[in-house]
Amino acid sequence: MSFLGLGRPQPTSEQKIAAVEGEMRMMADTYNRLQAMCQKKCIPTDYREGELNKGESVCLDRCTAKFLDTSIKVSEIMQAEGQAAGNQGGGGLF
Amino acid sequence: MDMLTQAEQRTLEQRMQKRQVKEFMGAFGNLVEHCFDSCVDDFSSKALSSRETGCINRCVSKWLVAQRRVSDRFQEHNQQLAQQMNK
Repeated sequence: MSFLGLGRPQPTSEQKIAAVEGEMRMMADTYNRLQAMCQKKCIPTDYREGELNKGESVCLDRCTAKFLDTSIKVSEIMQAEGQAAGNQGGGGLF
Repeated sequence: MDMLTQAEQRTLEQRMQKRQVKEFMGAFGNLVEHCFDSCVDDFSSKALSSRETGCINRCVSKWLVAQRRVSDRFQEHNQQLAQQMNK
């Protein structure tokens, strides 16, 4: 605990904004990739209809769930790898 | 988010808005490219044919409904995550 901001360096305003901005950007980036990827995987490009049919709709739902699960899985694996590398004392990838 | 002062939040919002404009322009460009690529491949005339125009119409509306659907699922997913964290 710090009294009147003493004892511990406080992050500057700019640092705080940058931290939140970075988080929001990562979220937006995931979202954009998700949209592009599931559009590509689920929507055939012949455009005989302008609406989603049943199969395409279900595909989009499942694609979204799988994409987000994949994103979590990858981050878990990377974290585990990072920890393993850290325990060995060797230089990690990141 | 709640760690920021009001002034800081305003700065952040301004930055995000600028970004959103940029992203929207990017998405628009991508959509044009995608629908052109999917619908237009006959260059025996310089005007879009009725078949091509129809395809472009369907391409854009389908793109919009698909975006909407994925966006809804994405939000549901985030809400579920938030609920799990609160438990």
